[in-house]
Amino acid sequence: MNSKISSAPKKTAKLAEVDPLTLSTVWHSLQRICREMRRLIERTSQSYLISELKDISVGIWDGEGNTIAIPVGLPVQFVGAKYSVRYIMDQYGKDIHPGDVFLANDPYKGYSCHPSDWGFFRPIFHGDRLVFWTLARAHVEDTGAAYPGAYFSNPYDIHSEGLLVPGVKVIARGEEQQDIMRLIFNNVRLSEGVRSDSYAMIGATTMAENRLHDLIEKYGMGTVDDCVAVMMDRTERAVKACILAMPDGTTYGESATDDDGVDLDIPVTVRCEVTVKGDRLKIDFSKSDKQVKGFVNCSYPTTYSMAVAGAILFMDTALTEYHNEGTMEAIDVIAPEGLVVNANYPAAMGGAPVSMGHNILEAVMMAMSAALPPRAAAGWGRRYGQYIYGINPRTKGLYVFPGYHAEGGAGAVYGFDGYQGSASVGTLGEISRPNTEDCEIKYPWKFISRGFRLDSSGAGKWRGGPGFHWEVENLGDDAGVHTGAGQGETTFSHGCLGGRPTLANNCVIVRENGDKMKAQVHRLHQVHHGDRIVKDTSGGGGVGRPEERDPQAVWDDVYINEMVTLKTAREVYKVAIDTATRQIDWDQTKKLRAA
Amino acid sequence: MIGITIDVGGTFTDCLVMDGEGRLSQFKASTTPEDRGKGFMECIRKAAHAAQMDIRDFVGRVDYIIHGTTMATNALLTEQGAKVGMLTTDGFRDELEIRRGFKNIRTSMYNLAVPPYKPLVPRYLRLLVGERTLYTGEIEKPVDIASVNAALDKLEAEKVQAIAICFLHSYANPENETLVADICRKRFKDKVYVTASHEILPVSGEYERFSTTVVSAYIGPIVSDYLFSLEKRLADMGFKGSLMMVRSDGLVQSAEHSRRQAVTLINSGPAAAPTAAHFFGRMLGQENLISIDMGGTSLDASLIRKGDIPTTTESWVGDERVAIKMVDMHSIGAGGGSLGWIDSLGLLRVGPQSAGADPGPACYGRGGERPTVTDANVLLGYIPTDYFLGGEITLDAERSRQAMRKVAEPLKLTEAQAAQAMFKIVNSLMADQVIEQSTKRGYDVRDFALIVGGGAGGAHGASIAELLGIPTVIIPKYAALYSALGMFAMDEGREYSRSFMVRADKLDLKQLASLFQGLTDQAVADLRESHVDASELISNRTAQMRYVGQFHEIEVPLPGELKSAEDVQALQEAFHARHKELYTFDLRGRGVEFRILSLRATVKRRRELTLVPLARGQADPKAALKRTRSCLFNDDWIETPCYDGAKLLAGNLIPGPAIIEEEATTIVIPETFICSVDASGSYLLKRR
Repeated sequence: MNSKISSAPKKTAKLAEVDPLTLSTVWHSLQRICREMRRLIERTSQSYLISELKDISVGIWDGEGNTIAIPVGLPVQFVGAKYSVRYIMDQYGKDIHPGDVFLANDPYKGYSCHPSDWGFFRPIFHGDRLVFWTLARAHVEDTGAAYPGAYFSNPYDIHSEGLLVPGVKVIARGEEQQDIMRLIFNNVRLSEGVRSDSYAMIGATTMAENRLHDLIEKYGMGTVDDCVAVMMDRTERAVKACILAMPDGTTYGESATDDDGVDLDIPVTVRCEVTVKGDRLKIDFSKSDKQVKGFVNCSYPTTYSMAVAGAILFMDTALTEYHNEGTMEAIDVIAPEGLVVNANYPAAMGGAPVSMGHNILEAVMMAMSAALPPRAAAGWGRRYGQYIYGINPRTKGLYVFPGYHAEGGAGAVYGFDGYQGSASVGTLGEISRPNTEDCEIKYPWKFISRGFRLDSSGAGKWRGGPGFHWEVENLGDDAGVHTGAGQGETTFSHGCLGGRPTLANNCVIVRENGDKMKAQVHRLHQVHHGDRIVKDTSGGGGVGRPEERDPQAVWDDVYINEMVTLKTAREVYKVAIDTATRQIDWDQTKKLRAA
Repeated sequence: MIGITIDVGGTFTDCLVMDGEGRLSQFKASTTPEDRGKGFMECIRKAAHAAQMDIRDFVGRVDYIIHGTTMATNALLTEQGAKVGMLTTDGFRDELEIRRGFKNIRTSMYNLAVPPYKPLVPRYLRLLVGERTLYTGEIEKPVDIASVNAALDKLEAEKVQAIAICFLHSYANPENETLVADICRKRFKDKVYVTASHEILPVSGEYERFSTTVVSAYIGPIVSDYLFSLEKRLADMGFKGSLMMVRSDGLVQSAEHSRRQAVTLINSGPAAAPTAAHFFGRMLGQENLISIDMGGTSLDASLIRKGDIPTTTESWVGDERVAIKMVDMHSIGAGGGSLGWIDSLGLLRVGPQSAGADPGPACYGRGGERPTVTDANVLLGYIPTDYFLGGEITLDAERSRQAMRKVAEPLKLTEAQAAQAMFKIVNSLMADQVIEQSTKRGYDVRDFALIVGGGAGGAHGASIAELLGIPTVIIPKYAALYSALGMFAMDEGREYSRSFMVRADKLDLKQLASLFQGLTDQAVADLRESHVDASELISNRTAQMRYVGQFHEIEVPLPGELKSAEDVQALQEAFHARHKELYTFDLRGRGVEFRILSLRATVKRRRELTLVPLARGQADPKAALKRTRSCLFNDDWIETPCYDGAKLLAGNLIPGPAIIEEEATTIVIPETFICSVDASGSYLLKRR
């Protein structure tokens, strides 16, 4: 898309005085409404991915599509969702009324990151005036693509990736549009579940509308307007102060994914130049690869979401949950059309959240780390998920088994080792990992093991959180396994300041008879009853040179955390340990480190 | 019949005694951190003395003691718990540390600069046992005894003090866990505290179950040793009544059960404060309350909306997930004992370090040399030096002054100015905490009354309210023993739950009835075991229900026994309605299923808590005027009237600035407030 078309008119109104307690209450109320919405969906959804793993995002925008509250979610689903709001407004013009709800999942018409993310948008009115928009968007179990689930890596075009709903009114003035709903649910698998989850999302927008009406009634629309204007102004000024404090100049970052799923084994790269100039930040992806045949292309709003989220990570941490349109005023995101970061119709985009989405974020983190070494942040263990689908012998029905089981932990940051449990950089730790028990109750798979893997972190003065070993056995019949929601077998995420990058992820399918087959990412594999899937993954990247790591911390990794071998301690971290006494050999260590 | 409540806080041990006629008397002693039982016993001794009885005679006549203690919470938050070993299913060593990927517990997703999680059981003490139970409850692989013994050899060599046994699917069939628990208990006898996950939280979802169990093991030895020694001391003195503990969920249960389920003592003590708030709120017609309890060491805040004491199963305590049902509250280290200090930026800070009970504030003259909030209050003239704890401790203002100099001099302030700065800093810390509970959840604090308890609360309540624009402050009767008072109003009993997975249209009413009968029998047996008459059991039954396919349940009350298809239909209707109320929509026509049945079994309170009403007086409080004292308000030293709390009468109106000196606390009324004395003996401060 042409990013210039869809920007909202710049606000020029003079700021009113707002009493500080009212401002604080209104600001936090908007954040709380978002959290409550996300929680409502989580509590009522019937999809494992939504309810237990929280593949959900929500937010609040003003009547012109400016971002007001985006405290929590998965960045690609909501940080740049103002583009979706503005698309719907452009399409429907004056035909937007109280009680309407719109559904969009089309990456080109309504700007969903990929078709699996269904977004329900509700306009909220005060009298005749459209004052807010709210969005509830979640990754549904099925969206009617060529194969069940999501992340099918070899599509012909976007139409192979499922039903495309281009920002359509599904509820008009409170009345469900039965014809449209029937058409939609006739085109997805597991439709009763997806229908329930749609009601959960719609319910969340209803709740938001109720809460926002309460807020307006309590403080008056004028005061709420004033608060929103002050919020945006304060955030803009705070963000610009952060940027002003950064040294001027341009830094570079890049990140590649293993391939595009069609042209196999050819990496696709996103390249990013971050330029700090005065109080403005420019994030320019112009040197990225051209759009590709496979499923890793991104729309401009996806790129925008990840770029803005990536920049926020390097702002004052006191601002975190308070970002809004004011933040975006200070940031320019450049992504020319025809590139993998702003692909033209009908390029496929099923893999966008992970492959390219994560890469965009990594490239920004790498460039920002170079700009601000004391805030350096290495890449996380790369996403290494899969979607398994087949017939569940217990229910005789189709199942789709997603999961954030095996990918390694967070990358190190300057000052701290990487967070060990958190999964998938693109979610910034908002996704939850599944409980083994819950999976075994729901799916015909038995877990053999899950846990940290030895010597699997990117080494560094501060090392990454470890990678995982994960092994499961198929108790059901034949099933398909998409490995589209993964990467990192042949491409790696960055380390910083001499820290090591991530290691290679690896997956094999072990047949019931013991035969082993490498199961690469971005492909479709078949498994049979009794087959096992075995994954060994990388942890996060490191920050700082490994030979500068505190020897005591290395010793702890060997004997307390049991995560690093003596060999790695010696060869990578240059720490000698006397195995007989289990003590650090300080003289030897000094020599090793001097060499 | 004598009932006693004892609340052991970080600094003071509070005690209330209710005699046979329902009259209350209050006692306080210093908490003795090295032996928390000592402060407890000191209170009993004081109570016996006041009753003019020999201590053995007195104790022999005590019918029950309800006890709350912050010990478990403190041990967890200050990393003072036991060295714990964990035995877990082979292949799943790291579930505890992976903790489902939760990173953004106390921080935002946009903040990466967070130190990694430090698990309560480090990896080298998480050992594997060959065993496997399936989700159906079927034992796929029996326990490999050799692997258990090898693990126990290692744990013995490592001298662990507690063992947590955490196997997959033990909620569906606890056989393997039970077997290994027996082996551990046989091998280590009482030397090692042993607990298994099905004993703590028998529901599916291993991370939540394991984490809660490990927390229980971590604090288990400390709690267990303490309760053993307390019971022994009491028994030695001829105690024949029941010793009950305040639970995290706002009920009280026997000490014996608490020992086995140590995790239920997280927030014991503070969990009673909302009950006290609720009690006064009902009396004063206030259903929206923010309750703060400011003791010597910490401040606990909770929010009561529409008269409901909120509970949650989604608590994090520090970095740990505690998935049992708990009263929802937040704590910070701010109290009378909080220390003032100067940070590396040259800024004056207060807390979270506390002078605690020993040495205590400088003015106690017990060796404390650093300035505390109490010292600040002394220097500001708020707290009388000659009437602290009714004159039991004489405060030394000169020591306060010397201590205050430590922060005043580097800042080039007078001692009084520094004292005032500390007073303001701690008030704004507490105001922030109130905001955490209210404003940050989107509730406007101005819609609430602030109810302030704790020994240090009276001096600060009005100033906090002023900072927040809260119009009304309630300082209840017995404010200084806030939680202890709440304990008299708490229900005694427990909640019992059973997993019960069945679709509503396939419900077998007989089976349901027999399950509830089983729960009731267990409740009666448990109550008998703690010598409680269970003949008047109050049963509240609930079912956790959901639409088929959902992952989370809604708790729906059952109207007594379900006897017919119509009853089941009505219950489903109630579920649909509750779903709609909570979530704005329902899915009528979808199947509904049961997941968990619960029985909240309580016994009738031994005596309804009532307060002896205060005699009524005129508006003019001058009969209670005790003296005047120079107090610093803002920039002015004002000769301030001080009233004797014991002489005030209902209907008295006291305009600020004024001080009310109570035996166990001091109430500061700033110039901007006016105080009226309520018939219950509570003080209502309203902004003028």
